[in-house]
Amino acid sequence: MTTIAWQRRRATVRATWREFASQRGGLVGLIGLAVITVLAVLAPLVTDASGLDVTRATAAPWRPPSAEYWLGTDHNGRSVLLLTWWGTRISLVVGLAATVLSVLIGTVVGIAAAHFGGWVSAVLMRFTDFFLVLPSLVLAIALSTVLPRGLGTIVLAIGVTSWPATARLVRAQTLAVEARPFIERARALGGGHGHVIGRHVLPAVLPLVFVNTTLTVASAIVLESTLSFLGLGDPTRVSWGSLLHAANMHGAVSQRAWWFLVPPGLGVVCVVLAFTLCGRALETVLNPRLKGER
Amino acid sequence: MSLLELRDLSVHYRGARGEVAAVRSVSLGLEAGQTLGLAGESGCGKSTVAMSVLRLLPRNARVEGQVLLDGEDVQGMSWGRLRTVRWAAASVVFQGAMHALNPVHRVGDQIAEPMRLHGVSGSVSDLLGQVELPARAARAYPHELSGGQKQRVMIAMALACAPRLVIADEPTTALDVVVQAQVLDVLKRLVSERGIGLVMISHDLSVLASTCDRLAVMRYGQIVEEGPAREVIASPTHPHTQALAAAFPTVGDPASRQVTAEDAADGPVLLRAEGVRVDYGATKAVAGVDLEVRAGEIVALVGQSGSGKTTLARTLLGLQRPTAGRVLFEGTELPRSSSGLRAYRRQVQLVLQDPTSALNPRHSVYEAVAEGLRIHRIEGDEPTLVAEALSHAELRPPELFFPSLPHELSGGQRQRVVIAGALALGPRLLIADEPVASLDASVRGEILALLLRLRRELGLAALVITHDLGLAWTIADRVAVMYQGELVEQGTVEQVLLSPRHDYTRTLLAAVPQDQRSTRPNWTSSP
Amino acid sequence: MIRHLAGKVGGALVSLLFVVALGFLLFRVIPGDPVVAMTRGRPVTGDQLAELRVRLGVDKPLGEQFVDYLSGMVRGDLGTSHVYSRPVLELIGERLWPTVLLVGTSTVLAVVLGLWLGIRGAWRRGSRSDRISTGLALAQWAMPTFWLGMLLSLATGDLFPSGGMRYPDTPPDFLSQALDVAHHMVLPCLTLIAVVYAQYLLVMRSSLLEEMHADYLTTARAKGLRDDLVRRRHAVPNALLPTVTLVFLHLGLVVSGAITVETVFSWPGLGLLTYEALTGPDLPLLQGTFVVLAGAVITMNVFADLLYRVLDPRVRAS
Repeated sequence: MTTIAWQRRRATVRATWREFASQRGGLVGLIGLAVITVLAVLAPLVTDASGLDVTRATAAPWRPPSAEYWLGTDHNGRSVLLLTWWGTRISLVVGLAATVLSVLIGTVVGIAAAHFGGWVSAVLMRFTDFFLVLPSLVLAIALSTVLPRGLGTIVLAIGVTSWPATARLVRAQTLAVEARPFIERARALGGGHGHVIGRHVLPAVLPLVFVNTTLTVASAIVLESTLSFLGLGDPTRVSWGSLLHAANMHGAVSQRAWWFLVPPGLGVVCVVLAFTLCGRALETVLNPRLKGER
Repeated sequence: MSLLELRDLSVHYRGARGEVAAVRSVSLGLEAGQTLGLAGESGCGKSTVAMSVLRLLPRNARVEGQVLLDGEDVQGMSWGRLRTVRWAAASVVFQGAMHALNPVHRVGDQIAEPMRLHGVSGSVSDLLGQVELPARAARAYPHELSGGQKQRVMIAMALACAPRLVIADEPTTALDVVVQAQVLDVLKRLVSERGIGLVMISHDLSVLASTCDRLAVMRYGQIVEEGPAREVIASPTHPHTQALAAAFPTVGDPASRQVTAEDAADGPVLLRAEGVRVDYGATKAVAGVDLEVRAGEIVALVGQSGSGKTTLARTLLGLQRPTAGRVLFEGTELPRSSSGLRAYRRQVQLVLQDPTSALNPRHSVYEAVAEGLRIHRIEGDEPTLVAEALSHAELRPPELFFPSLPHELSGGQRQRVVIAGALALGPRLLIADEPVASLDASVRGEILALLLRLRRELGLAALVITHDLGLAWTIADRVAVMYQGELVEQGTVEQVLLSPRHDYTRTLLAAVPQDQRSTRPNWTSSP
Repeated sequence: MIRHLAGKVGGALVSLLFVVALGFLLFRVIPGDPVVAMTRGRPVTGDQLAELRVRLGVDKPLGEQFVDYLSGMVRGDLGTSHVYSRPVLELIGERLWPTVLLVGTSTVLAVVLGLWLGIRGAWRRGSRSDRISTGLALAQWAMPTFWLGMLLSLATGDLFPSGGMRYPDTPPDFLSQALDVAHHMVLPCLTLIAVVYAQYLLVMRSSLLEEMHADYLTTARAKGLRDDLVRRRHAVPNALLPTVTLVFLHLGLVVSGAITVETVFSWPGLGLLTYEALTGPDLPLLQGTFVVLAGAVITMNVFADLLYRVLDPRVRAS
């Protein structure tokens, strides 16, 4: 019987893909993401990492774009193109890692809060609401100030502050699923917690979690750039936020060094926009409420 | 000139897969002071007809033919003219007053809105009085009113501009029998007092039978039978009308009773409730109930919504723990441990009201039926067991249904899948909560026949929970009437339904829409 | 209603207590030795460290520290800033009003702009103007606030002051002072609006789209109402309700925006103070701004909830 199930699953995936591909925004986002990912992976193969080293910079500082340095140079005479290219890696890695952490916490808390009810739910929701209201940047700043600087700290700070939205969403969806009579039927058939969650709740909640994940990556990347901009990033690595931090510290605005300001920020906008577009397109495909059925 | 005349009306909806015909060449006429009934199952196009009268169809609808309101074609009106005609010449009582009223405005304002708009004088409290609501109801918000009250507000609103035509789209669906009877009375009175023309749309032939002069039956967008209501119901000529009429049996009519004396079960007591009480906080949902179901017996538990019958069912299934009292299965009290309850589930199974939502939309028929087998790790060849259960539920050949998803099946087939899922565990008692209430009229009979056949062939007992006295009359051996958490009367079907002793049972019986098919005993005059 | 009010206020008080406890946890417990965290990367002698410990009161056991910390909170004593050597509360008091001015002005403008564009977009869903305004909102939502601020500052050149709140040589009369502050506020305000209005637009648009299929709109049309009246009287009031809650839920976002915008434009508010505290790092000061900012957002949310009760009859009754 498993073959039938697999055939159907494959057909579902194909149908979902067709519907996704019919939305221009989502397709643009997906292609953008693919290009950016390839660039990030290729960076160490195509370019020379030694160009990132301040001590080995050869060009003059604050050079506007030229044939040699397509995007000019920074205050240390490093190529802005190279820096921005390498910055992609950190932004993506931190964004994805923090999202995995946050979505994991959010999903577990959300399902537990909805499924078990009673005081467990009350406590968990109180907890979630508290963190939801708490300004995430303020908490992330506090965490990354008191913990030792590094990638791990940034990931932790973002992951720990951005899960409540996922938790609320998952809780709402779980509640909606559990109110459906087929859950009652499963219980009447003798199914326990594991059966109900594993066979009915999770499959219904996961598409939404997936959509939510793409949107969370987007905000995690913005949060990463903000923390790095405030000087809380990993000082040994180049990220878009830390580039903008340097630009701000060394007066790129008063120098009118637009070539140093624009590329890293544009990088953030492109990645975030790509994730957001993908997420919104997926949302229309996977969230039946948004389909124009009526 | 007719008040309303539909000439060769056809409506198509443009969708992703091309055009779908919803209404095909329908012609109808209505005079002032008359009531026209439009009957049919869900999806037959009756609501589309209603919406086309005031041109309220969505943008993807293409309309052909003519809709003449007082001789003027609605299709040809300018927007300005259309807005003047809307509500002033014809108004609508929408299906589901719950959603048709704006939740953030007071109902008085909503009733007054069309009066202000069309410059009609009148008073909201007068209108509320006509539908038997107190004047202070005007200050309420919709959520503060009960279902019946909201429906009356909708009717008052429809009368606000004194239109000559009112279209009522399923005005009593989702209402209790008693409330339904009150709302129907209000409508009937208004037609006779004000001389308006009324179009009544319903899936329930008995509702139309009690209110309409003429009756048209629709199927697949077409009118299959039309004529004076009395004739259509008493001697239907089209098979679809016959199926619809059979689905609403008359209590007391021997022809519609499908249980014979030989069926009477005399088996041992299977399930017994002793003084069961369930409190939710301060509210008593079930207030001390004693009930028995014997092996091979069909018992109907009858009551209005809110009477506590569903809570009682969940308690009997062990899904809800009673506050006091106990439930015994074959003389032993229900276990409290989860493993004990799991074993109990193999004896007693549940069939829910709406098969569409009772099946996980992602699971195939095979998975849905095998779910119980897997939970209980029942030994044997799974496909064989699933096929067996499906053929017991009359889904044949079973293998053909294995890969189907619920949305690919009809409502009746879905309910059969739910029943098959229960049968797979080999239970001895089925608790069926309104098993046919959400099914189309023509398939109700089939599902009830299935329950009876399962009893005959497998000796399966059933506790059928319903608000429908006709259903109890059709299939039950015994009836228990529940009111405000208590069983007010129980006994054999004939005892309870033909010579009721409790006032509440009489009220329920009196509220069933009367039609002209049969003469019934006069309950109200019994001692 | 009264019971609900008491419940809400009680809940908020618990949340505030949470914030206070979290402040202690973050700045006293997690760092292990806060003094080491504060002097990281700087050469200090053991004596200096010990002296700092005594000054911050972190030489005592944690339990005693917590009691001191709590009693300080109750007395309104948030400790002393390490960098400024002044009471934290006094510093926060000085910096509060510039932030209130900036955040208040931009939130009001952003709400008005966002809701208006959101309503228009939903009503003409799929039209050119809807696609443009939604696309623009998405792009702005994707932009880091500080980057947009820097770009604006770069693009406008000398048109607006690049930082601060007023010039030192402005005449002291009210009008010139007000004009000077307004002049300084243009860029930070624009930046904050640009990033925040997009949220409101998207929320309002989707909330109205959800209402568009509601049956009561068909009722309204059947009554003969014009399209714009159907929208104004029936659809918008219903769609506005969920939006109000979300507007307030997103206040945390505005606060985050304020921190970076104030940093970019050296606007002397709480955000800039937070930035100064984290560069120190001046843990007592950061702890103070953390508690105050988080506390303010929680308090605003209680107001939001009460406002919602007043606006929505469905909730009001229950």
